Amino acid sequence: MFDRDTEGVRIELRSLTKHYPGQPAPAVDNVTLDIPAGELVVFVGPSGCGKTTTMKMINRLVEPTSGEILIGGQDVLSLDPDQLRRHIGYAIQQVGLFPHQTIAQNIGLVPNLLGWPADRISARVDELLSLVNLEPSAFRDRYPRQLSGGQQQRVGVARALAADPPVMLMDEPFGATDPITREHLQNEFVKLQKQLRKTIIFVTHDFEEAIKLGDRIAVLREGSHIAQYDTPAAILADPADEYVASFIGQDATLKRLALMRVSEVSATGSPAGSGLPQVSADASLREALDIMIAHGADRCATPSGVLTYAALCEAVGTRAGEQEDVVSSER
Amino acid sequence: MNFSEYVLSRWDTLSLAATEHAVVVGIAIAIATVFGVGIGLLAYDAPKVRSTSVAISAGILTVPSLALLTLLIPIFGLGWGSTLVSLTAYAFLPIIRNTVTGLRGLDAATVEAGRGMGLSRVRLLLRVQLPLAWPLILTGVRISAQMLIGIAAIAAVVDGPGLGTQIFEGLSRLGSVNSLNATLAGTLGIVVIAILFDLFFFAVRYITTPRGLRVRP
Repeated sequence: MFDRDTEGVRIELRSLTKHYPGQPAPAVDNVTLDIPAGELVVFVGPSGCGKTTTMKMINRLVEPTSGEILIGGQDVLSLDPDQLRRHIGYAIQQVGLFPHQTIAQNIGLVPNLLGWPADRISARVDELLSLVNLEPSAFRDRYPRQLSGGQQQRVGVARALAADPPVMLMDEPFGATDPITREHLQNEFVKLQKQLRKTIIFVTHDFEEAIKLGDRIAVLREGSHIAQYDTPAAILADPADEYVASFIGQDATLKRLALMRVSEVSATGSPAGSGLPQVSADASLREALDIMIAHGADRCATPSGVLTYAALCEAVGTRAGEQEDVVSSER
Repeated sequence: MNFSEYVLSRWDTLSLAATEHAVVVGIAIAIATVFGVGIGLLAYDAPKVRSTSVAISAGILTVPSLALLTLLIPIFGLGWGSTLVSLTAYAFLPIIRNTVTGLRGLDAATVEAGRGMGLSRVRLLLRVQLPLAWPLILTGVRISAQMLIGIAAIAAVVDGPGLGTQIFEGLSRLGSVNSLNATLAGTLGIVVIAILFDLFFFAVRYITTPRGLRVRP
């Protein structure tokens, strides 16, 4: 199959359509999309727009009415569905762990189906539990009901990664947790994906989450029509239409600042200025701005120099001359 | 002769009748469980099969046991045959119903996750759905068993096995020597069998329920 390589492979959707019998309009209408290898693409859109249906056609939990799906150049519709699914990671919001099996059995399910030897499965389970920050010795023999919601979602991600599939489908995998746990899981996941470079399709209705996680975002409207498909920075800087803009909300510029790191902006001068507030190099520009406002300053000290308010404006493409407009419009 | 003297003097007859009572119920339950769970597996995801099988098994249960036993005599004769067939027929409703309810009541996410990871339908059924529905299925079997232990007493009218004979004999000779003792012995024997069956199912439930379903968070 397409998973000789555990790093991501390209996914191509060609005129993909799903029309449920008896429904006036197709749930997914003629979607064509290329998902580059090793990228995390977020499908974002309101509930009922067909984003989940589109995703589920890729592992054929939903059979397409027409169209083509290629994973690593291979036609998915010609494969045996059960075989196919064993080679695609799948994580869902409600997690769906098997309550009668231990965490180790849950994670080892797909490797087991693929016929891995027991000691290799056991080693893999420990590796994955560590990867999602759960202590293997404490968790492998416990049952799902003994875990908190956040821990279950980590196990869900570990289970999806079990057989090291090149492609993962994730349907709001962090959706059912409280905001703090959710943010924590997202941060961990960003780090994880940096190492793994899987091709991931990630479905959410939360645009903040999309910006945070996505290499690219596909903003979908009714019938899974693509309103805009681009990088988070490009969508924030230049939304295609009103619909996309309405998703972004009123604070597009702040969201763009949140995407940039202090270390990416050239700092001027030396950080000798003693009284200046400090930011770290991997803080976001949004955090830098926050510190400036909090201290009533127009600059702050970074490890490599001084970051000015004008530099922030420049980073998002506004001129220092327009400074006052920007400030007033963002309040 | 008081009751305990009666029981001691008739111990051989009584213990044989009690054993037969338990055996005929046990066999009927075993047959009904195999077929009832099988029907439940076929029916739970097929609305027509589901409503038909539940309607038929419920229909059987509305036929009075005395009538059903008598009606079966021409086909299965007196004794064990008619008893076993009618008991088995009565046992189906709780078993089919609980199997269907158990399988349909499973968390949809669990089933979807299983499908999404590449479990085939059969494997999903055997490795995930059935173990998770098992406690409820077993409850259905237990209800059927309790019901059959009572109904089996009626089998005495078709010369069937069991403690019913004691009860009917006693009742027909009411007022004569030992009639009350016979009725009482039959009734109490049935109560004891019912308690033993319940203990048995309690143990089976404890042993066969997956540990992951018993743990407390």
